[in-house]
Amino acid sequence: MLARIVVLVVAVFLARAYVVLPIHLRGTSMLPTYQDGGVNFVNRLAYARSEPKRGDVVAIRLAGQSVMYLKRIVGLPGDTVAFHKGHLLINGAVVEEPYLNSGCDWEIPPETLAPNLYYVVGDNRSMPEKLHEKGKTPRQRIVGRVLW
Amino acid sequence: MKKPVRLILAVAVIGLAIWGWRVWFPGPQNAIRARLLKLARTVSVEPGEGAIPRGLKAQSLGDYFTADVVINLEARGFDTRELQGRDELMQAVMGAMQHVRGLKVEFLDINVTLDAGDQSAVANLTGKATVEGERDFEVQEFNFKLKLVDRTWLIYRIDTVKTLSQTTALRPSQVPVGL
Repeated sequence: MLARIVVLVVAVFLARAYVVLPIHLRGTSMLPTYQDGGVNFVNRLAYARSEPKRGDVVAIRLAGQSVMYLKRIVGLPGDTVAFHKGHLLINGAVVEEPYLNSGCDWEIPPETLAPNLYYVVGDNRSMPEKLHEKGKTPRQRIVGRVLW
Repeated sequence: MKKPVRLILAVAVIGLAIWGWRVWFPGPQNAIRARLLKLARTVSVEPGEGAIPRGLKAQSLGDYFTADVVINLEARGFDTRELQGRDELMQAVMGAMQHVRGLKVEFLDINVTLDAGDQSAVANLTGKATVEGERDFEVQEFNFKLKLVDRTWLIYRIDTVKTLSQTTALRPSQVPVGL
């Protein structure tokens, strides 16, 4: 019995450290896709064999993983990202974003991403642009992709 | 005594010994972490805490900073502000402490990088502030720069880290183990 408990504890610890990380969602920046107060998991192995893709919703660490940002990748390394009249432009072309349910008037001048940098933004574009946490993040800060 | 019980007891004793060693003989990194955690408790305000205890706590902040400390605050949605000197900092904190009902400040994920001579250090951390009665909290990443003065680690500079405005890849020392 004791051995089973020890094995279970070790298995849970290893799964949390290397496979999936449970997260409690707080805030409104990913509405309507993710609701404030929801629960999800971050798949740490999502990018073990491939690089992050446009459209992926990922967890981004701050100093560590106690608190992380949940954002959607819209720009890949080398892309030129801009917002014009609320529309996302990648390399000058408007990108359809079916996950949005609100328009906005954001204006962000074009910026080309350096190698290793990704552009991330939340789905809630009804927030004022200055209050919405978004921008460039290095690959190393991306902890993993959310499971659902 | 059964073998598994003896094994668990042995592990517990070893764990206790390691914990005790770290408490009584902390290395520079643990000493800095402990000091920053104490600072977070000092700037936190209990809901029923009176004006005098709040004032005393603000006064005690002087123990954590050098006289010429510089603090750059660039939080999203707020104006950029720079505080120069311990006196200006203490006045600002005292003013803020008197106006909040309650405030819980936490420093999470403290990553300490020491210089070669162990005389100065950078602590990269996440600051979390929860105002009493509010469900949401604010988070911000910071770099605290410290130096050893008379065997005490004092903060001489605090910079806001713009987590999502990175212009270059992270330095290897900024990447925590496990990522």
